[in-house]
Amino acid sequence: MAQYLKPLPTITPLNQPYWDALKRHELRMQQCQQCAKVWYPPSPLCPRCWSRKFDWTPLSGHGRVSSWVVFHQSYFKGFEGEIPYNVAEVELAEGPRLMTNLVAVANGDIRAGMPVEIVYDDVTEELTLARFRPAKA
Amino acid sequence: MPEFDLKDKAAIAGAGNSPYGRRLGRSPIDLAAEAIANALDDAGLRRDELDGMIVSFGSPLGADVDTLAPLLGLKLRAYSQTWAHGRFTASCTQWAAMMVNTGFANAVACLGSWSLSHIQRPKFGGSGDREGAREAGGGHGEDPVFGMTSPGAGAALVARRYFERYGADSRQLAAVPVAFRRHASLNPAAIMNRPITVEDHQSSRFVCEPLRLLDYCLVNDGAACVIVTTAQRARDLRKPPVYISGMQPLPGGADEFIWAYPGFGVAQQQVFEYDAGLQPVYRMAGVAPGDIDALFTYDAFSILPWIALERFGFCKPGEGAAFTQGGRIELGGELPMNTNGGLLSEGHILGWGHQVEIVRQLRGECGPRQIAGAEVIQWANCYGDSLIYHK
Repeated sequence: MAQYLKPLPTITPLNQPYWDALKRHELRMQQCQQCAKVWYPPSPLCPRCWSRKFDWTPLSGHGRVSSWVVFHQSYFKGFEGEIPYNVAEVELAEGPRLMTNLVAVANGDIRAGMPVEIVYDDVTEELTLARFRPAKA
Repeated sequence: MPEFDLKDKAAIAGAGNSPYGRRLGRSPIDLAAEAIANALDDAGLRRDELDGMIVSFGSPLGADVDTLAPLLGLKLRAYSQTWAHGRFTASCTQWAAMMVNTGFANAVACLGSWSLSHIQRPKFGGSGDREGAREAGGGHGEDPVFGMTSPGAGAALVARRYFERYGADSRQLAAVPVAFRRHASLNPAAIMNRPITVEDHQSSRFVCEPLRLLDYCLVNDGAACVIVTTAQRARDLRKPPVYISGMQPLPGGADEFIWAYPGFGVAQQQVFEYDAGLQPVYRMAGVAPGDIDALFTYDAFSILPWIALERFGFCKPGEGAAFTQGGRIELGGELPMNTNGGLLSEGHILGWGHQVEIVRQLRGECGPRQIAGAEVIQWANCYGDSLIYHK
């Protein structure tokens, strides 16, 4: 695999299970055992009821585009060759929003509310990212 | 509410600034020292009468309070500083109002300084910007793994959602930078003086689409300072006091995103129709939005004034786009905004340039850009905090 030049995530003991799951091609987020809330980014406790009892629950990987931007200016060497590239917020079916890139769609064809599904992008042997592509409603 | 006890109990006694510019070749400490000295002189206060200081932003781009105090030979009884974000202008002033009224200090310098025009591009965002490496992500939506970086990208995300939700467009956004540039053309201290048109805006390049270069504020060097003291003491000083009659603190939590009010639906905000009601700052000051003679707001990006107008009830969600058209926010309009030219055109002085301008407007010192009969002026921001000043 060619050298990976894009920024790497800040992995902490708190978010390690999220990244480990992606590596296995599973999208998992914390879900409260007490009140069933699903949340992201990872937190030490349920933001709704403060229970520390939670599971890393598998999610559907489906959602809708809630907003997006297109970068025309270069900020990172690793993204230079992809300008203009998109960054989107996807609202997952389970509630949380994820920052991501949309693939298999032209920037000009992105629409608010567009249904999307996860693509597990193995960018290195160690790192898998959750990207999204258009899906059937 | 306890903050009601502070209505008209604190005042700005002096305001001062350094030159604003690009590549001034001066350090933040140097610029801060000039702004502080000018503000003290404006108030008619001696250096040894300054016993409190609150700095917003600070290092690595700006001067820190614990450096300024010894270097300027000050003896401070009380000081504090916020971290290096631009959102704390009102917070600093509010804490100063509390300090002078609790006896922690008699006269508090509130200021910000920075010098960054010598830094290579990008000045914000990219691999040198540690914001995106914060645990759980950056404060403006930064997520560098996906190339998401810089405060402006977070504002672009808000702008796109606004356009989609309310049917507005980039052309309407142009009204904001066009208005503020017109104001800057009347302000000799402003960095950008040449008026711009909607067409100039529309032909400027995209930085982070849908935001264009002219939707972005300046990056520059400069410092500005106000001196807060008790209303009683301010009455005995050189210039007429500018009273702080209303204060609204900076809210936080899951419903907040720095560039959007609750219900907007970015980051992890829920989606609902926001209702401003009568915001607490008006209840404290005993006025309503209709009584405000001019509105000043943090305009790092052109979309932010729309959000601030809606957040404080000058118009309903989605109406900021139409509200800002036709000269309504320009000098001579119904609600002049950022008559200094704002961060977009006067320069980014961390919100302190706006405070200095408010003081000068209420004293009638603004020459060709003076708002006739200005008596009540508000500082109110997209992130929810506010100050109401009156003469």
